[in-house]
Amino acid sequence: MATSTTDTTLDPHEPPIATGDGELYGILAEYDTPGELIEAARKVRDAGYSEFDCFSPFPVHGIDEAMGIKRTILPLIVFGGGFTGLVGGVFLQWWMNAYNWPWNISGKPSWSIPANVPIAFEATILFSVFAAFFGMWILNKLPQVWHPFFRSDRFARVTDDAFVLGIESRDRRFDAVATRKLLQDAGAIAVEDVYLEGDPARKTMPKWIVAFIVASTAFTLIPFAIAAKARNSHSNQPHVHLFPDMDFQPKFKSDTAMDLFADGRANRGDVPGTVARGQLKGDDEFYRGLAGGDGGGWITGFPKQLEISDATMKRGQNRYNIYCSACHGYDGRGNGVVPQRVAASGGAWQARNLVEAGGPTVLMPNGQLYNTISNGYNTMMGYAAQIPHADRWAIVLYVRALQRSQNASREDIPPDQQGSIR
Amino acid sequence: MSALQKTLHPDEKIKAGKLGSSLSKIGVGIAVIFLGLSIILTLMGSPSGGHESKWARFFHAYVIGWSYIFSISVGMLWIVMLHHLVRGRWVTAVRRVCEAMAGAFPVIFIAGLGFVLPLVFGYKDLYYWAHPDAHNHELNHHLLHKLGWLSPNFFFVRYVIYGAAFSFLAWYFQKKSRQQDESGDPKISETLRIASAPAMILYSIVTCMAAFDILMSMAPKWYSTIYGVNFWGSACVGAFAALALILLGIQRTGRLTHSVNAEHFHDIGKWMFAFTFFWAYTAFSQFMLQWYGNMPEETHWYKYRMFGEWQWVSIAMIVGFWAFPFVFLLSRWTKRIMPSLVFFAVWQLVFHWLDLYWNVMPSYQWQVAFHDGARIVAGPLSGNTAFHHVAFSPVDVTVWLGLIGVFLIGLGRNLVGNLIPVKDPTLPLSLAHEVQ
Repeated sequence: MATSTTDTTLDPHEPPIATGDGELYGILAEYDTPGELIEAARKVRDAGYSEFDCFSPFPVHGIDEAMGIKRTILPLIVFGGGFTGLVGGVFLQWWMNAYNWPWNISGKPSWSIPANVPIAFEATILFSVFAAFFGMWILNKLPQVWHPFFRSDRFARVTDDAFVLGIESRDRRFDAVATRKLLQDAGAIAVEDVYLEGDPARKTMPKWIVAFIVASTAFTLIPFAIAAKARNSHSNQPHVHLFPDMDFQPKFKSDTAMDLFADGRANRGDVPGTVARGQLKGDDEFYRGLAGGDGGGWITGFPKQLEISDATMKRGQNRYNIYCSACHGYDGRGNGVVPQRVAASGGAWQARNLVEAGGPTVLMPNGQLYNTISNGYNTMMGYAAQIPHADRWAIVLYVRALQRSQNASREDIPPDQQGSIR
Repeated sequence: MSALQKTLHPDEKIKAGKLGSSLSKIGVGIAVIFLGLSIILTLMGSPSGGHESKWARFFHAYVIGWSYIFSISVGMLWIVMLHHLVRGRWVTAVRRVCEAMAGAFPVIFIAGLGFVLPLVFGYKDLYYWAHPDAHNHELNHHLLHKLGWLSPNFFFVRYVIYGAAFSFLAWYFQKKSRQQDESGDPKISETLRIASAPAMILYSIVTCMAAFDILMSMAPKWYSTIYGVNFWGSACVGAFAALALILLGIQRTGRLTHSVNAEHFHDIGKWMFAFTFFWAYTAFSQFMLQWYGNMPEETHWYKYRMFGEWQWVSIAMIVGFWAFPFVFLLSRWTKRIMPSLVFFAVWQLVFHWLDLYWNVMPSYQWQVAFHDGARIVAGPLSGNTAFHHVAFSPVDVTVWLGLIGVFLIGLGRNLVGNLIPVKDPTLPLSLAHEVQ
């Protein structure tokens, strides 16, 4: 470093030797202990200086007060940030959930304060921390990569073991001689002038640094350029496979081609003439709802495996409420949560009313009802994969009970209880 | 003003002298007057509601008041151990007072026998799990498996274990600290630092378990794993508020006037502020999951507090125990200007009591409704919101004040000798403490 130092010249009447390069930037004074630094700072402040700072390897309690630094406004900035986060977090959720795109999720309200507290809390924290972090940077004039005091070797030691006070020459009370004397009288163990760079060639950034910045910036743009090109052009070349052993594995997926077998398929069906365990399902009534034999239609009763009991009815209700009520509604009138949601989003769709007197479902034979649950009907998907056979029959039983109850007349009530109905 | 270290001010009065014994006498007076008044009020009163004994109200209030003084010592024991564990500095100047407040544990646990012994000898209207109905399979089939743990005799055994653990920890840390006053041996600080780590683990376990047993089992069918942490947060709010008031009281007698200054009170206020938010954080965590999960075995506890008259107490908790003190304690100056700090300390001490009241009393109201026949239409802690009364009784307050007298007895016993750890190596740092 082209540092020009005038080591402690204790005679204040002799002007500092201008070894330098440029004009005087400021004066550094080193003190032995934090306590002496504080005392010196107080003297400098009392002398009316304002453009000075203290540098130490660790925070020194009391230095703020000694230097006459006002309390930081950072807490107010953080409070503003936190408040912004709170209001912003609440507004974000209100805008998205309750105003711009309300969505009926199982009938829950689209705007509910408790559900919004975690996001509001997190947003408050996030914005507070941002305000604290960037507010601190701005108040401390960071990032600052260079400062004229760096030209002093002594100054480098403030990150290690030196306690330094520096006064800048732009202070209106600055006087090269008087200021030196002040710092020395305050107990400095060394005082040093710091000059700005005088050589104009050295004031500009070296060319190799400029070149490096330009080159590295250009280099970081390359991936983005490649991505942008790929997104805006067509190619008939195959993909680049970064992990070929994962993209091409030695196995066959279902429903793909394979030359090993005569039929050219990778899938291998059951061996002809065999049935997998538990897959025979020979009973047409129970498994398909059909009367046995050729040309048998839908059965109208229930298969003999189904025990018509209170327990089966309860089971059917339970399964119905789980699988069917979402569309058909708990009462079977076709107004479940899904149609409600369709209506809430502006559409119009009703599920089939299962209990309408004289309607298709009421007239449907049991076997066909069972078949509908198994294999679906129009837009309704089949439930064979989700609901076991016995449970499907239990649902049929329960739907019959629903139809009966929803179309009940006074005569359906036992005579001894009719008096309690008004 | 500014130095990294300071020595004790030459004029500082650090000897307790008669402070402890006079405080104990005041405590005895308060305890006798208010507990006596509570007993008279209870004897004069009629049984509230059906056929549960007229003492049920008294004992529920007793559990609240007892938990209150217990929680203050719980919070103070924590700051003592934390201070050793992390080699804290600022606390040193006030640590002896913290140790003395934590040292009230033996007296507190003896006072707690006031509700534990009746339980052991068959009193059934305090904890529902001690009631013969708890074993009713039809009403309580999902309570039966807990009754092995929640039985009066086993409860008593655990109570003794908690009392022994807390009393031992408080005694140990105080005894070693006073030994250092004599010998000035810096190795004692090191010993306490090493001891504080396992002590902290033991402390966490017994604090959570005590909260589960004594407060949460008021609603034995309920589930909450964060309950102990939530209790502890509330406890620390009350403890730091009480510490600020007790220190200012000691300074009124001319003691510790130089050693403890606005810097220390600022940090005490910061802890109170931090735990105010911590309490709200854990309380909301508990509420949020149960509210969102919407499972009957969890929500019944909140149902009883969110509807009917109790909802106003719940709202008062949110506003009074969290929002208002949180916003105002954010500022540096509300913690450094003593009248302001005193205001918030008293405020939080009252709301800490309300928090415990809010935890316990709905269970009592349920028992009243239960004995009035509410169980026919509803299981425990559920049903018609018409039963959700806040039937405030003067006994609630008089028992609380009487038990504060008991706490002062326990505190006074420990205010002897030096009020400051005079030979603690970190004392010069604490005396020079400055909040940046």
